[in-house]
Amino acid sequence: MIEPKRLHPITSVINFLKSLKEFIVPFIFIFLFGGKGPGFDFWQSIIAAAFVLLSLVGGILSWLRFTYRVEEGELRIESGLFVRKKRYIPFERIQSLDFSEGILQRPFGLVKVKVETAGSSGLNNAEAVLTAIKKQDAIAIQEILTSVKRGQTDPYNENEVEESEETLYTMQPSQLLLLASTSGGAGVVISASLAFILQFDELIPYERVFKELQGLISTGVVFVSIILFVLFLIAWMIAVVGTMIKYAGFTVKKVEEDLVISRGLLEKRQLTIPLKRIQGILISENIVRQPLGYCSVYLETAGGSLEKNSSRTLLLPLIKKKQLATLLSPFLHDYCFTPKMVPAPKRALKRYMVRGMLLPLIIAAAALIFFRPWGYLSLLLLPFAAFWSYLKYKDAGWNLHQQQLTLTYRGIVKNTFFMRKNKIQSLTLTSSLFQEKQSLGSIQATVDSGVGLSGGEVVDIEEQDGLAIYNWYRYQ
Amino acid sequence: MISEPKNRISERALKVWRISGAFYSFFFLLLAGGLTTLTIIFEWPIWISAASILLFILSIYFFVVLFPSLRWKRWRYEVREQEIELQHGLFVIKRTLVPMVRVQHVDTAQGPLLRKYKLASVTVSTAATTHEIPALELSEAEEMRVSISRLARVADEDD
Repeated sequence: MIEPKRLHPITSVINFLKSLKEFIVPFIFIFLFGGKGPGFDFWQSIIAAAFVLLSLVGGILSWLRFTYRVEEGELRIESGLFVRKKRYIPFERIQSLDFSEGILQRPFGLVKVKVETAGSSGLNNAEAVLTAIKKQDAIAIQEILTSVKRGQTDPYNENEVEESEETLYTMQPSQLLLLASTSGGAGVVISASLAFILQFDELIPYERVFKELQGLISTGVVFVSIILFVLFLIAWMIAVVGTMIKYAGFTVKKVEEDLVISRGLLEKRQLTIPLKRIQGILISENIVRQPLGYCSVYLETAGGSLEKNSSRTLLLPLIKKKQLATLLSPFLHDYCFTPKMVPAPKRALKRYMVRGMLLPLIIAAAALIFFRPWGYLSLLLLPFAAFWSYLKYKDAGWNLHQQQLTLTYRGIVKNTFFMRKNKIQSLTLTSSLFQEKQSLGSIQATVDSGVGLSGGEVVDIEEQDGLAIYNWYRYQ
Repeated sequence: MISEPKNRISERALKVWRISGAFYSFFFLLLAGGLTTLTIIFEWPIWISAASILLFILSIYFFVVLFPSLRWKRWRYEVREQEIELQHGLFVIKRTLVPMVRVQHVDTAQGPLLRKYKLASVTVSTAATTHEIPALELSEAEEMRVSISRLARVADEDD
């Protein structure tokens, strides 16, 4: 693959659509609010056509300019319309190649390849992206990468080294349904559609709608609640379908010393995580799944991530907590998944309650004083806050097991964070004046997540326990 | 109870903190002055002006007197061969351990105020966190930067 290669021509279409997407918001703005009357103005149409043409030409040209080749153990990419860019990435520096297949790639048997290096970690973009290349080519690059990593001098010498490949986890359709229906996606759909509707307050005569609504409400509470229920149901179903499309066919494989995660129905995505880059393991149980005994498993890695806006990589979307140890132990054998957690002492409960109730109490008091009839509703907040604070107290805990620190704590969901001593970047023991009086303390451990700090914090454990963890981390 | 880290930061830090505390109180002075003027012009109730002046006096007490000395009393650090230990805080006391193996780089920095008093701060960065020791003697800070980076290079992974 020494001669420079272009990407598949479909790339120009993808480029075109991408730049069109960037124009679409200002476009809508101009057409909706800029026009004097209804219909399209002559000049507006001209400008629109010019933009579309420009995007099209730009898309084609940037496809023409983009070439890649493999030469002297480097992936060499040249691109750029006005500014010619050359980027040479040595294979030794490539952490992983992530394959994904979008709807435009699939009909042609193409894949999109993201090249991740240590420097391109986290939220930033990948070091390089090959938008659409043939599957064979992608596999060829992958093979060169593995052979370079194995330390062969000649990457073209195909020895047919057997790859040890082992499927660790495949999501069953029933699990997928459970995953989708217990995720918090419905709320997101509802708020997103509300935000969308509110965008058009100039076009929709809200006042008239509200007046009619008032009429409706007076005709029957039952009717309104049925409508509300149906709306919620629809939002929930949209969320379910969205989650199912996203996570369909979720499989985890172990290939050599890497974990390969693939998922997706319309857009297939594949992610490679070298086992030795794992910095910590997070198990999270949301409020619906916890009573059912299910949890999700995330990996904290020091490299790229499949999720946007998060450094964590979803390893197992949904699994019975009991099966966790049997499933994970074979390939994460450094970790102990069934530690006996030491809870926060009883006297910590008061502090948890005060912390959790203070703000709701202030809000409720303010609401009672200033918004009299409806303000009483704010009292409903209090039992929720109390229950939540109690859960937070109940879920706090820690464990030391040889070289492993485990912390459990609840934000909104219950988290269990497994960390190895040699992956913890720093450890902090905190005690405020109030905590000190009751010999309590908080412990905070930090691991590298590629985008900065990540880790666990448990508040109000026995001071002695905190010191024990602190001394465990200290160099002996 | 485990022993505290050995070293304290420079006593001149106290002066630097008091000066920067005075800058904070200056804003309260502006606020008090502004509110008093407005009170006189618009004949507002006198307690508005009184409260703002009280706030200013309190801010001097807290930012210039109390906080710097509390902070200085709490600040301890120790650089050992295998780890760095820090302790600091006003009302909440934090003790942090940073193993040498985790240290990625060390910086010293000096703002105009620190420079006037021949002080510098040392910042230790790991892959995930940064930790600052404020206001060390300049020569001590330089020495520490060199020694930490040397120790960090020597320290071996003990997986």
